[in-house]
Amino acid sequence: MSSDTAAIEVRGLVKRFGRVEALRGLDLRVPQGVCFGMLGPNGAGKTTSVGILTTLLRPDAGEARLLGRDVVADRSRVRRDVGVVFQESTLDPELTPREHLDLYGRLYRLPERRRRVDAMLDLVGLGDRADECVRGLSGGLKRRLEIARGLLHAPRVLFLDEPTLGLDVAARAAVWRHLRALRDAGDTTLFLTTHSMEEADSLCEEIAIIDGGRRVAGGAPEALKAALGGDVVRLWLERAEGAGERLRQAEGVRAVAVDAGEGGCELRVTVADGPRRLVQLIEAARPFGVREVAMQRPTLEHVFLHHTGHAFEPEAEAR
Amino acid sequence: MSWLADAAVLFRREALRYRRDRAYWIGQIVFPLAVVGIIGFGLNDVITLPTGAEYVGHLATGMLVLVVGSGAVGGGFSLIEDRETGFLRALLVAPVSRAGIVLGKLAARLLASLVLVAVLVLLLSLFTPLRVESLGAVLVSVTGVTAVFVALGVSLASRLRRLESFRLFAALVTVPLYLFSGILYPVSTLPAPMRALAYANPLSYGVDLFRYGFLGVHELPLAVSSAALCGLSVLATGLAVVVFDRSARG
Repeated sequence: MSSDTAAIEVRGLVKRFGRVEALRGLDLRVPQGVCFGMLGPNGAGKTTSVGILTTLLRPDAGEARLLGRDVVADRSRVRRDVGVVFQESTLDPELTPREHLDLYGRLYRLPERRRRVDAMLDLVGLGDRADECVRGLSGGLKRRLEIARGLLHAPRVLFLDEPTLGLDVAARAAVWRHLRALRDAGDTTLFLTTHSMEEADSLCEEIAIIDGGRRVAGGAPEALKAALGGDVVRLWLERAEGAGERLRQAEGVRAVAVDAGEGGCELRVTVADGPRRLVQLIEAARPFGVREVAMQRPTLEHVFLHHTGHAFEPEAEAR
Repeated sequence: MSWLADAAVLFRREALRYRRDRAYWIGQIVFPLAVVGIIGFGLNDVITLPTGAEYVGHLATGMLVLVVGSGAVGGGFSLIEDRETGFLRALLVAPVSRAGIVLGKLAARLLASLVLVAVLVLLLSLFTPLRVESLGAVLVSVTGVTAVFVALGVSLASRLRRLESFRLFAALVTVPLYLFSGILYPVSTLPAPMRALAYANPLSYGVDLFRYGFLGVHELPLAVSSAALCGLSVLATGLAVVVFDRSARG
């Protein structure tokens, strides 16, 4: 198989559950070796997509290929190539971490199983808790065991469905650290679903924004944000006259909105590469009496809003 | 034969769980001992059996069938547990044959049944006429009854999502099977219509084989009982694999 075969190729994927249409013609292409993020609010179809791509669900229409193989017709082969870290726990509370990994090592018929199990336990920092029943482990440790299980057989594509949902800050940082190391090693394609903008932004080289079972935008997070026009610098000035014209001539400025009020005005300057040009903008505005300055960088939240026309579910974010 | 290797791997996992499940062992050992000790001796001199065996021995073999059967239905129960803990989901994404999952459960339950029967017979033989009269009949009956009930449990668990529904349906199916199988009273003395029901009940053949294995007496032809039980085990297990496989497709 050539390396330009996509890790994941999805065309027109449709999945219905009764009357609910979870996926409505989803298209995706994920190159090999990248860390790809599927970003969307709850109910956007993320878990359903992972279900189909990992052979647990059958699509009602459309086509999904993993490393060139059809996930329905060739599912036995696909199962060897994927690892999955599910959103919910998939651990047997009565077994120990070592027993879990040993079980899967046997099912995947791994050579040098014991050595590999030990190495995975060490990798996720479970070495000294390896022989305690899972029942007694904290949420963060359980999640790390799930990741170890997903990685044990060195899958070519690793799916992570909301890998840090419900974790505290420290546990989340630990999971991110593992994922970054994995991403930088570059052997495994990572497919991450998340409703955390921060997670998508800090981990993924490429993302797809999905909403209502469809892909609404995609690309590198930086490019998506840059496509919105750049950073917004807000300047509060003492005098408004001529300030707009002066700033429009500054380098990199794309738009200036002036909001004049009594005894001063507010300027909203859209500029490419804001951090580098901030000083120069302040210099240009100095003759008009600069009172306050603030800069906003566009976030994926803005990207989402721009492409879907509605905000990301605030209640989902708060959970 | 990858399904056989998968079954062996999953057998290990189930066996580990059984070994740790103290409540299961205590319950399954104390309950039959209490029933036989209290009810068996209470009725021993009141009831005369056509086989000539003592009632306490009759009841003891009946209780063995009951614990083996109810334990085996628990094999299906464990499938619901596996679904609820999420364990099944991760298993289904791995390259594992569906038959291997069902057979792994069956094999582990069979081992648990054999250990349970051995312990109980050892204890019961201290105060009842229970002895191993025919090891062959014991092995065939324990295996057959375990297989049929594991298959029943797995089939129910594949169709039902909720624990409560499973308990209800399992009781609905198994209680009549037990009542018309001769675990409490001999089948041959029942009125004709009830006797017909008993003969239509596959468990009756298992009970009769148990009785031959542990007391040396039987009411039905041994060849018929063995053939019926073996045939049914294979059929039920096959059916359970198919039902489970269907339920595992999204």
